[in-house]
This record gives sequence, C-alpha cells and structure tokens, in this order.
Amino acid sequence: MTISRRTVLGAGLAAPLLTTGLLSRPALAQRANGIIRYGLSAFPPNLQPWVSTGASAGTVKMLINRSLVGYGPNGELRGELAESWSIDGDGAWVFKLRQGCLFHNGEPVTAEDVKWSIEQIAGEKSTAYMRAQFQGVERIEIPDPRTIRLVTKQPEATLPTWFGNYNTFIIWRKSAANEPIGAGPFRLTGQERGTSLDLVAFDKFYKPGFPKLKGIKFIVYADENLRNAALVSGDVDMIEYVPWQSMAAVEADPRLKLDSVEGPFMDVLFNGTKPPFNDPRVRRAVAHAIKRDDIVKAAFFGRGKSLEGLPIVEGTPWYDNELAHGWNYDPARAKALLAEAGFANGFQTTLLATAQFGMHKDTAEVVQQHLAAVGIQCELQLPDWSTRVSRGSRGQYDMAIHGVSADNNDPDGLTVVLDTTLSPSHGRSFKVDAPRTIAALAKGRAEFDQAKRVAIYKDMQRAALEEVPLVGLAWRSQGYGMDKGVKGFTNLPGALTTSSGCMLEETFFG
Amino acid sequence: MNAAWLAHRVATALVLAWIVATIVFLALHMVPGDPAELLLSTGGISPDPASVAELREKLGLDRPILVQYGAFLSGLLRADLGNSLVDDYPVLSEIALRLPRTLELIFAGTLLAIVVGVPAGVYAALHRGGTFDKVASGVTALLLAVPVFVVGTLLVLIFAQTLRLMPAGGFAPLTQDPVLHLKLLTLPAIAIGKGLAAVLFRMTRAAMLDALANDYVRTARAKGLAPGRVLFVHVLRNALNPVITVLGLHMGTLLGGTVLVEYVFNWPGLSTPLLRAVEGRDYPMVVGIVLTISVLFLLINLIVEFLHATLDPRVSAS
Repeated sequence: MTISRRTVLGAGLAAPLLTTGLLSRPALAQRANGIIRYGLSAFPPNLQPWVSTGASAGTVKMLINRSLVGYGPNGELRGELAESWSIDGDGAWVFKLRQGCLFHNGEPVTAEDVKWSIEQIAGEKSTAYMRAQFQGVERIEIPDPRTIRLVTKQPEATLPTWFGNYNTFIIWRKSAANEPIGAGPFRLTGQERGTSLDLVAFDKFYKPGFPKLKGIKFIVYADENLRNAALVSGDVDMIEYVPWQSMAAVEADPRLKLDSVEGPFMDVLFNGTKPPFNDPRVRRAVAHAIKRDDIVKAAFFGRGKSLEGLPIVEGTPWYDNELAHGWNYDPARAKALLAEAGFANGFQTTLLATAQFGMHKDTAEVVQQHLAAVGIQCELQLPDWSTRVSRGSRGQYDMAIHGVSADNNDPDGLTVVLDTTLSPSHGRSFKVDAPRTIAALAKGRAEFDQAKRVAIYKDMQRAALEEVPLVGLAWRSQGYGMDKGVKGFTNLPGALTTSSGCMLEETFFG
Repeated sequence: MNAAWLAHRVATALVLAWIVATIVFLALHMVPGDPAELLLSTGGISPDPASVAELREKLGLDRPILVQYGAFLSGLLRADLGNSLVDDYPVLSEIALRLPRTLELIFAGTLLAIVVGVPAGVYAALHRGGTFDKVASGVTALLLAVPVFVVGTLLVLIFAQTLRLMPAGGFAPLTQDPVLHLKLLTLPAIAIGKGLAAVLFRMTRAAMLDALANDYVRTARAKGLAPGRVLFVHVLRNALNPVITVLGLHMGTLLGGTVLVEYVFNWPGLSTPLLRAVEGRDYPMVVGIVLTISVLFLLINLIVEFLHATLDPRVSAS
C-alpha cells in the first residue's frame, strides 16, 4: 500500500470539518438567562464570613452575605440590613434594622443575630480580620428587636465603616460552624473546587427589584493574561484585575469597556530600629529621591499616578494639593537631607521586595536606580512572597517595597499602614517612630465633628510628611473589563475598589 | 521472573517514597513563611498576632517539628495525608479530585502525539528526502525548541483571542458538558503533546529507515507481498519497538510538563493546588501532592522494569 501525500493532506483538511460542531462557539445561553460569567482572579480559600481571604473571596462573600451598611456607587456609606444609624447622647452608636430582611433559610434578621455576629468577631478565639476593632466595643445592647446599641470603650467616629468592610457580615446566629447562613442578594448553589462557583438570585432579598441578574457564574483564571484572553474571546462577560498591559486593548475593543480607578498604592517601608532609617531625615531623603513617573511607566504601563504624599484620595475633603506633593521629586534636597543626617557620601543598604509579583519587583528596580543617583546603594532582595511576608513582620529588612489598599477612603482607613505602634506587619514600617502622626490619627478617630476632623487629618498629613512612617510611590489603576452589554456595574472610588463586587447586585444585561 | 527480585524492587520504591516525603516535609518547615500568618494576611495587611497564634494552635503548628513529623508518618501508615491548612479539606480527597484530570491531560497529549507523530514519521521515512520529510523535520526541530508555555500562550492568542474558535482555558466536568470538556482539553493537549509528537516523529522515521534497509524487507518484497503487508507486518512492527521504549521514558517528562500547561490553560489538575500550597506553605498539601507524583514516577519505573524483566529474563536474573 502506498500512502500518498494527497491522502495525508486530505485527512488534514477533513479534520476541521469533522470537528465543526466541536469548535463552534456556544450560544450565549447564559446571558439570555440573565446569568453573568465573571472571571475571578483566585478561587476563594474559604468563604468564612469574618476571616480575610482576599478581595476575590470578598467579592463572593459580599454577594452571599450582608452587613449593617455597605457602599453605594459613589463610595458613600449606605444602609443595608440597617436602615439608619446615629450616635446617641451618651456617645454610643445606635443602628436601626430594616424590616423584612431574611436570611437565606427564611429566618428574619434580628438584633440578636447582629449581637451574636459581633461577639464571634471579637471573641478570644476569633481569627476575624476586624477582631481588634470590635474588641473596642464594651457592650452590645438590644433596646428592642430592631435596635442595636454599641457602647465603645473610646469614642469611635468611624465605627459604621467597620460594618462596610467585606469581612464583617451578619450571620444567622444558629448557623453550623462551617455553614454560615447570610442574607445577601445571591445564594451559593454550587462550586467546582478550584474552578468555579455558581450563585443564583435570592428571591426574598430585602431590596425590591434586586438583584437584577438571575445568577452569577464565577470562573477562576489565576493567570491575568488568560483571564484577559477569556474576556476578549467571549468566554466570560466580565473580569476583575485587568492587567495594566492589556487595558489599552480592552478600551480599544469595540465590544468591550474598561472601568478603572486609582485605589491601591505602592509604598516604601522602613526598619526604624537601626541606622540609617531610624533617622527621619534619611527617610525624607528617600521620599525626595524617587521620580514616581518612572514607576508608573515601568511597573504599570502608565496606568497609575504619582503619589508624592500620603495616599489620600483626590476629591475627598481630606485631600490637600500642597500636602499631596509634600514629597516631590527633588534629588538636590534628598542629597542635602542625607548630608544633614551625616551621610553626605551616601551608604549601602538593602531593599526587600518579591519577585513573585511583577509590580513589586519592577517598582523596586526603579526605586533602586533613583536611590543610587543620590548615593544610596541598595542591594535588591527578591524572595518569594511567603518569605517576604515573614521577613517583613519580623523586621528582617532595611527598606521594603509594598503594595496595598487602605481599609476605606476615610483617613482613618490609613491607620492600618501608618500606625507603627500596632503589631509588627509586613504591610507597615517596622517600629518607625511617628508619634505625632499616630496621635493625630487617634484624635481624628475620636472626633465626630466633620470640619474638625478635616483639620485634624491635614495636621496628620503634615506630621507624616516630616516623620515619614512610609513613602508613597504610586497609585495603581485597578480595572474591571466587561462586555459593553454589561450595565449597572460601578468600580467604587479609591480604596473601595476592592469592594466593588457588591455592585453586581445592580448589574444587568442591557 | 524472580520473586525476590520483584520484592526487592517494591521495597526499594517504598523506601524512596518515604525519603522523598521526609525531605519535602523537613525542607518545607525550614524555609521562612508561616502558614497561619500567610492565610490571615491574604487581604494585604498582617493580622492581629493573637489571631495568628490562635490559628497556629488550631492547626497544630505550635507543636515541635518532630511531633508534627510523627503525626504525619502515623497518618501516612493509615493512608491519611492530613487536611489542608487553608480550608481543612482532606489532602487525599483533593488528590483524588485532581489526579484524574492531570492523567487525562497526559493521556490526551500522548494520544495526540502518537496519532500525529507516528504516521508522520512513517510517511516521512517512506518519502525520504521529499518535501514533506524536509518540512516535517524542520517543524519538529521547532516544536522541540520552543518552550511549552510559549506554545500554550500562542495557542490561546491564535485560537481563542484572535480566531475565537476555542475557549481560552478552564475546565468543565465531562459529566456535565462533554463537548465543552473536550474543547477545553484540546489546546492544553496540543501544548503538552507537541514535544512528544516531535520525538515520536523522529524516532519512527529513524527506526523505519533502519528497518526498511534490512534484508528481510527486500526478501518480503521479492516474494511479491503486498506493499501494505510489507509495511505493517515486516517494517512497522519491528520499527515500533524503540518508539515504544522512548514513549515510556517520556511519560514521566509529561508529568513534569503539566505544571506549566495546567497553569497556562487554567486546567485544574494537580499543579494548581501544588503551586498554591507552596506559596501558602500549606505543608500537608505540598507533601501529599509531591508524594503522589513521586509514587507515580516510581510506579512507572517499576512497571518498565517489570516489563523488561518479563521480556528479558536476564534482567531479573542479574
């Protein structure tokens, strides 16, 4: 038998025809059914309502659970399970529950459930993200079944924002330990471990007409390029964390749109327990030595903005243009500050980051170059993320690069990165002395008058510019990419961008 | 076959598996990184140290390392690999869920490599020096040279992003959506099978050329046998022996190659939890998966040795 070239070519040409059915694009049946396909960046490690397991898990948790308050499209705090809240004459916070709120098992949401949930978060054996804050609640009173009164150990002006965090949900108090029952707009109906999660609309959700979608299929794409490819190819209707390098292509695609905001930021942290970074003049020299535009270009493909002060969101009452540029790029001033601190000839040091995330490594490389220009020679240390975290919280570094979001857009949300008297963390400087900054943060937290709070936080910014508990580097853009037919979704402003998942209850196909 | 020889080989494999498990267990505990701290800092900022301490106690990480190792060995003897530190999911269940997907990917890639590589090798040998032979030889060099993640990314770019013919990646259970399952399997199978296809093409071509030059082939033709019978009965049968040996040797390589392919195509096999577990210092998960992969390697080696011993008694006798 002779196998001819024609036979081989014929077989090759026939193969696609035989597999036409296999290769054809599926009908958009899910969209017609009101089910959105959402490309998630990570499979939730778990869906425990009070433990921090990342923003992707937070997106899912926000949809199956609810808290007393949440955020609206403009980042304003709005009532969820609570219809109103106020401070009473004795300085206690009083929340009034909305009528008709039901958990997914049909049980009504009561003040007892709220009390129980707070007690679980603040409990001695708790591993909740907001445990420290809620341990500041001295007692919880229930004057009537729809009212909760929280008496705090100290005045807490920002207490309602605690309930806006996506690790603070109200759970039915008789839930089994591993099966928390929430009151969110969607119910979890299935999951393929590590791959996908299926949510369907909760028909007894307390907001009439919401959610607008009939369901959400979360499909996990850990690789950012594949996640973007899934959006471009139409495998999903929407993705989170559009890679910076792909944002222009998404904007240019006539079928797609991009919704991005500048929320998370990059910063430099210091070890304040030893020279030279125990001297604020040296830290200020670092702040003035770095040309931030280069970071935005190199690490974020131009999708970000220089950050020459504390990460206060522009457009909020706390923002001050002059203070926002207090650490402007000025290498001559950096050199003068180094000379003043006794390092006229510079010095050698180390810069800790991680090679596991490109934005950390790229930022570190730019910082290294600019510091070298003023005489600070940095040896880059780029271990894996786990080691970076471990070394950061143990103070085993001189300088470190970090990327994070504040808890919310109130300056008090920056406490978590600025208050160096809190327990050591990989996300804030190690034992850097910044007493005036920290005192101002505490003062702002205890002040209820808005005008006074604005003045206090401007003082706080002035103090931080001198004490330098961190050096802001760059805001980074955080984008959601979606089909143009997806309507009603809003990327929340500033630090709240990671809470934007709650907007999926208002999303629909138009 | 010598029973003592077989028993010795099995015992050696078991000891090797134990050594691998021990090394991985100890090495993981020695590198920096606290699973409890990592787990609670997923949101970006380190958690309250009291919370970390609570979690460490709950997970049993506060016990001395030798006590933890003893508990691990004790569990191993009861076929219990422990639970994930992240979500308390049994490691054995995770492996039972993921391993078939990895094996399916390897099987599909191998099948594709055989279907493409062997016939192409035969055709190239039969038409030695022809256009197909020259082009195919060049293509195989390219397939061997280009890394698997580059091929994977190109496949996604061309077939998913540009032509929109195939899904970019992911997984759908065969029982729920067989068509989508096969679609999702196609590109990763091509990516993982491309190197093996090139190897099989070259081996088949070379073995065929050797076989075609033998006297018995000329004799068979001289006897007036049909060309097809000469090809399949006299040439191919003899030429396939070295091809099968190479195929066996490369199966282990494919197991390693799945790590990148599964990542590029979001195929939820063993690689995804392994990478995630290493990043998160999820000790039981890492040890369990590495142990499984090691046992698979040892099993393949054992089977190969067993086959050699069966086919050639001198192997076990020596």
